[in-house]
Amino acid sequence: MTKVRDGDVDKLGLLFERYKRPLYGFFYGLNRDQELSEDLVQNTFFRILKYRHLFRGDGDFKTWMFHIARNVSHDHYRKNKIKVKEGVEKWENRLGHTDHRDAEMQNADERQLLEWAMDRLPADKREILLLSKYQEKKYKEIGELLGCTEGTVKVKVFRALQELKVLYKQLEQRS
Amino acid sequence: MKPEELIAKYNEGLADPAEVTELEKLIEEGTVSLTQLRELQTLDEQLSAVDDGSPTLRLDDGFYAMLAKEKKKQRGLTITWPSWSFLLPRLGVAAVILFLGFAGGYWLRSPSGNSDVATLTQEVVELKEMMMLSLLEKESASDRLRAVSLSQELVAASDKVTDALFVTLNKDPNVNVRLAALEALMPYASQPRVREGLVRSIAEQDSPLVQVSLAELMVALQEKKSVTELQKLADSDRTPKEVKEKIKKSIEVLI
Repeated sequence: MTKVRDGDVDKLGLLFERYKRPLYGFFYGLNRDQELSEDLVQNTFFRILKYRHLFRGDGDFKTWMFHIARNVSHDHYRKNKIKVKEGVEKWENRLGHTDHRDAEMQNADERQLLEWAMDRLPADKREILLLSKYQEKKYKEIGELLGCTEGTVKVKVFRALQELKVLYKQLEQRS
Repeated sequence: MKPEELIAKYNEGLADPAEVTELEKLIEEGTVSLTQLRELQTLDEQLSAVDDGSPTLRLDDGFYAMLAKEKKKQRGLTITWPSWSFLLPRLGVAAVILFLGFAGGYWLRSPSGNSDVATLTQEVVELKEMMMLSLLEKESASDRLRAVSLSQELVAASDKVTDALFVTLNKDPNVNVRLAALEALMPYASQPRVREGLVRSIAEQDSPLVQVSLAELMVALQEKKSVTELQKLADSDRTPKEVKEKIKKSIEVLI
């Protein structure tokens, strides 16, 4: 990234190839919308390019990238507040106690149940679990991202996992 | 209560809210690790194993278009009109070369010129080859890239050239140079010798970009002999997950 900052923008292609998948996975885990996730990855790299001079080079690039990615995501939802509300309603309908949903649940496998449980988690808890996944459990770096200590991050992950476990079990009983 | 006892109680699902709060405190202090909490650890592992899919080519297109635009902008900013003192000597040299070109053309036009043209062409090819081989030895990656692109200008590359390209493909420390060498070798992939070299090269590569490019080339060539080498790569612990998937797909296509 230091080379990109110093003017060799071609090197951004290497970073893009390395990180497009985890970044996409992070966004997709948050919104379950392929096209939107791709747009947000593109926006993140656009900002990386635009604000490359702000990269200090003393920290981890991935942490800096996820910092920008979170801002991109927050800005998107701030700008599209109404749409999100509609989206949530749509999700609530999808997650509702309809016959169709129940039939689907009966055939669901572990992975599917886990995805549904994730979708039901509050956004901040879903985000911390996704950060933990894509930052490969580097809690110290996640702490830098969120502006809190490593210990606080661990507690947040613990609480999110606990809630996820409860939701998972509820879904498992219904399936 | 000792941390071990608390963990055991939590793992049994018997911890009350006060004990969970105590556990949180121990986690925050670092006394208890999240990996010690069995059920949550399993859930976390399951979560890590979930594949959130991969982006489509639309993203690549968008990104590289953006990058190209940025590069153009950058170039636009750096171009300044040179001064006459800088330009005049160069214009003089260009005029002399142009004149020599015309003179040479007039001389080659004569009937006896045909054999001379052939010799001259041969000499130029040899010169290009020599230049390419010496550029490949240079320390600068851009020089080596120039050498590889020079090889693409040769109508039919000699064994010496393809050998040199293979050495570059297998040994060059720079990934971009290796990729360029691979691209330069593609037109000669119909030659059995080159094909074999390409298959052998799979095992030599440690860069994901080159590995994926080679896998794609093998699919394009329908080179079934490459399956063993690709499989080794797919089984290797050193190969990144994404590359493994790509290679497995290539193997499926080849089989």
